[in-house]
Amino acid sequence: MAPTTRAFATRLASAAAATTTKSTTRSTAACLRSRSNRRSYHSHDHPPPPGAFNTAERQILSAAYRHVPDHGFTHKTLSLGARDAGYLDISTNVVPEGPFSLIKYHLVSKREALAPRSAEIFNAPVGGADGATPDAAAGTRGQLLTVPERVERLTWERLLANRDIIHRWQEALAVMAQPSRVPASLHELALLSDEIYHLAGDLAVDPSWYTKRASLSTIYASSELFMTNDCSAGFGDTRAFLRRRLDETSSLAGVVGSIGQWVGFTASAGLNVLRSKGARI
Amino acid sequence: MAARSGLRASVRGLRASGSIYCRCARPFSTTLHSRYPAPSPADRTKTTHFGFEDGVSEKEKTERVAGVFHSVAESYDRMNDLMSFGWHRIWKDHFVTSLNPGASSSNPPKPQRILDIAGGTGDIAFRMLHNAHVLNSNPDRMLLHSPDAIADNSIDLYTVAFGIRNFSNIPAALREAYRVLKPGGVFACLEFSKVGNPLLNAAYKRWSFSGIPMIGQLVAGDRDSYQYLVESIERFPTQEAFRDMIVDAGFVVGGDGYENLTGGVAAIHKGMKPLKPTS
Repeated sequence: MAPTTRAFATRLASAAAATTTKSTTRSTAACLRSRSNRRSYHSHDHPPPPGAFNTAERQILSAAYRHVPDHGFTHKTLSLGARDAGYLDISTNVVPEGPFSLIKYHLVSKREALAPRSAEIFNAPVGGADGATPDAAAGTRGQLLTVPERVERLTWERLLANRDIIHRWQEALAVMAQPSRVPASLHELALLSDEIYHLAGDLAVDPSWYTKRASLSTIYASSELFMTNDCSAGFGDTRAFLRRRLDETSSLAGVVGSIGQWVGFTASAGLNVLRSKGARI
Repeated sequence: MAARSGLRASVRGLRASGSIYCRCARPFSTTLHSRYPAPSPADRTKTTHFGFEDGVSEKEKTERVAGVFHSVAESYDRMNDLMSFGWHRIWKDHFVTSLNPGASSSNPPKPQRILDIAGGTGDIAFRMLHNAHVLNSNPDRMLLHSPDAIADNSIDLYTVAFGIRNFSNIPAALREAYRVLKPGGVFACLEFSKVGNPLLNAAYKRWSFSGIPMIGQLVAGDRDSYQYLVESIERFPTQEAFRDMIVDAGFVVGGDGYENLTGGVAAIHKGMKPLKPTS
């Protein structure tokens, strides 16, 4: 529901609208916005894309999903789901990709559950938000955390949504890694990182749009893999792992940024030196 | 694509009684092929196409299609292997495994009634029975009836492989499939379709319009039948158009509603009869 469909055109259009309106509060520099303003990120010209599953598929998949902890992401689970939903054994054929659709159902439904969960967390009373950096200008509680903090929190919430099926998740990862399934799996991962950055209130449209999402995707995938072997109470080790990876990325991003600045300065200085020597550049 | 006439002849010899159903647990049951769908008086005047030839009456198409398959029956399987480089077996295997007939959540497994239309030499039917009996240990029954001999809401799985292209009235055939299927039952169709990749399409078109009629002439001694075959493939609707026809007949489809095989040379379409009819 989030992501690539909120096309660039829309972002550019809304950015253009922001510059033409007199509303100075919509400065593009502001990285944190109130929830009502964040709607500008969505397309007003295009209807939201239809859901990933039609009614019959959803009936079978949601019934089957309850059997996943016992039977895994398998055809048998689908059959049990079809029976529970009042369908025939053969009706599982309406689910186009069989067990992979069940995995996709997990991914899509947990991603879609992130938006209401995010509202719940970030609109909670201030006392509940530990480590919050108070923003003097911000009036609402949702703006008490910085974007990276919100990204960390949302990623953790998404990982926690795997809790009930984590003992079956390695099977699912194996299915997702099959060559014919890889594009769809990566697409879903991209949608997830986009959703997390969207919910975290990140509105930057510079090239870091790509790098941020790519690095979050990598971190999410590795944390998920870590989680499949995590026996610590409340998956504490996974959260520590997630935090280390995110910290590494932000320090790495700083280093890369500094290197980039140095390279840019040196290049333009070199160019100017050549020009001063009479080179026609 | 069915060598119906050959099957018909053998069935005629086997059947002692006139009854369609047999109470014994034999996995196959068949009827004589009756013209499908039974043309109503109004239908007789309707026209359809036969290959690239337009303005053919439905009755005439039925007869001419029967003539084609009568003519190619002897060398049917050999020709399929030559035309598709043996690949049609992979498609059929995939078609049947993806349907997974006989898979059941209950123990002992709940038997299913499977109807294979335009079954020809039974290459789909035998695969279905193998999948159901051997892999899923389910005593499913395979029916090879013409659907007009079958009661409403009585079939679990209705398949037609490389056959629906030759039907005189495809929407009527889809409505008939909808009628005989149980709510929740599945209609599945394996059929030649449209190739998406332009390079592959160019090679495929060259092969089908030059190579296939020539092989038909050399091996089966019948160029015209194979010319009809490639023309009928060309005239068959696209994946999306055929999917919409399935939806129009009342079925629900999951995802795109079809799966391309070998870049779209063939495609599998599946539709499920909903529990409650869609208005």
